[in-house]
Amino acid sequence: MLGQVVQEVLGRRRLGGERAQDLLAELRDTGLIEQVQVQDLGVLGVSSLRPWLGVALLLFPVLLWVISLAAGYDVIGDVDVSLASSAPSAAHWLGCDHLGRDVLWRLITASESFVGPALLACAVALLIGVPAGALSGWLGGLPASLTRFVLSTLASLPRFVLVLLVCAAFGNSVQLIALAAGVAYAPTLAEAIYARIQSFRHRGFVLAGQAHGLRNGRILWLHLLWVNHRRLILRHCVQLFAYFLLLETTLSYIGGLDGAGSFGVAQPDPSWGNMVAFEWREPSANLWASLAPGLATALVLLGATWTGRALLEEQA
Amino acid sequence: MSVHLRSLRILAEEKALVSQVSLEILPGKITVLVGASGSGKTLTARSILGLVRGIEPGLVEADLELRDGEQIHRPYAQADRERAFIPIRGPLVGWLPQNPRAALDPLRAVGPQISACLKLAGRESAPEPWLKRVNLALGVGALFPHQLSGGMAQRVGIALALARGSRFLIVDEPTTGLDPSLRSGILKELQEARDSGVGLLLITHDLRLVRQLGDHLLVMDRGCIVEDRSARDLGAMQSPQAQALWQATARLEGR
Repeated sequence: MLGQVVQEVLGRRRLGGERAQDLLAELRDTGLIEQVQVQDLGVLGVSSLRPWLGVALLLFPVLLWVISLAAGYDVIGDVDVSLASSAPSAAHWLGCDHLGRDVLWRLITASESFVGPALLACAVALLIGVPAGALSGWLGGLPASLTRFVLSTLASLPRFVLVLLVCAAFGNSVQLIALAAGVAYAPTLAEAIYARIQSFRHRGFVLAGQAHGLRNGRILWLHLLWVNHRRLILRHCVQLFAYFLLLETTLSYIGGLDGAGSFGVAQPDPSWGNMVAFEWREPSANLWASLAPGLATALVLLGATWTGRALLEEQA
Repeated sequence: MSVHLRSLRILAEEKALVSQVSLEILPGKITVLVGASGSGKTLTARSILGLVRGIEPGLVEADLELRDGEQIHRPYAQADRERAFIPIRGPLVGWLPQNPRAALDPLRAVGPQISACLKLAGRESAPEPWLKRVNLALGVGALFPHQLSGGMAQRVGIALALARGSRFLIVDEPTTGLDPSLRSGILKELQEARDSGVGLLLITHDLRLVRQLGDHLLVMDRGCIVEDRSARDLGAMQSPQAQALWQATARLEGR
């Protein structure tokens, strides 16, 4: 029985919930393993809704983004002072802030301030990090040393500081922050890919592929990167997405606090960060105006963590 | 059509791993390369494909000549060796590596890997006939390499090598760790390949294979060829290393 479990772990097959319970009971019966909890089997993908919940939470802002783009709601112009600080109602599900702006619509529209830029940041990190990591891992030698020298120099600057520097030097726009975040994240991605490709490039199947007449480019991009490491790459994208959300929210929060909007997204454009800051400066009676954006940020970050962990376990 | 390897020398930091090795692979013939572990058999075989690590001039030197009809390839005489080997790997010379499981992409099912190989060879890309040919169930195509037994992985390796349709095939210890019935099945496949005109270079520890299907025998020891003769008269071998191998085989068989 134990052998079977080990086999299934090795085979990384997913077990159904009932099957897992059976295995668990039998494992306990063998006496070899005394304390096995369902959580311990979580690695096997047993009984866990968490990865799916994670993906759902992560896709939630993307859904908001689509809704926002499709609805074309005038988030700046639609102000009704008579509704200032009103509690949730059928017309305004999350109520209004103290200027009389609908909180839910601001929450939805705020997705425009980070989803697109976060995807841009991912694209930038992929465009720099994947070729740099893959080629230096494959070629080794001097090209690898040079590439890694440049990238680790870049990585030695704290990312947040790098982004602030870019804001200070080139002006403050979300697109620019996204570019900076992508560049700042690229060394992390490149180093992860470098390490994997370097350990894979002399594997038997790479050699066999070459002997069969597969071109090196095809082996590198298709077999090594796409087939064997797409989860790793996806995991880094999820991580960067979450990192960018946190970055944009933080900057917009800081910008919103001093009122000048010198960082991040400035009022009246909505961002989850400046919504919280706005409430911090002049709290309204409607609690949801500050709670909702904070909760939304926390939930998306949680989703990214769960998704990332699930990808990590699958890849192992 | 033939492969001639003459005066191969492989250096690693001043030390010669292989020196003065010459061999021929002829269509429809099986050349057997025997020798103890670490005697340079696999390195020799890889040099024919240009897959010795650090293939640069100075480290690997050989007079390798592949005749393909009118065309004659001499990859080691070219300035860009990496490019010179491109037309050779696959269509001319195929390779069945020593550890077939490690030679399969770990995260790709077997069927698509065979299909990819068939596509490379410009053949119809259905893997089923090739699985059938090596006596594997059709369901095996959906399995991943880690789900295969050693014997299954070995047969998938053979299916891949055959599917590539190379004129010459280098087979590195194809029967290690297989039970007798699988072993004879694989030998049958190799014989069939030979009868269809493929030239084989068979690397093995097992002198019994030489008697069963060898045409020409080479014995290697510490990077040199110590015995080079027809596989008919194994009893008359001259070198002490070859005699020792032969006697060990005879003892195993209880004679």
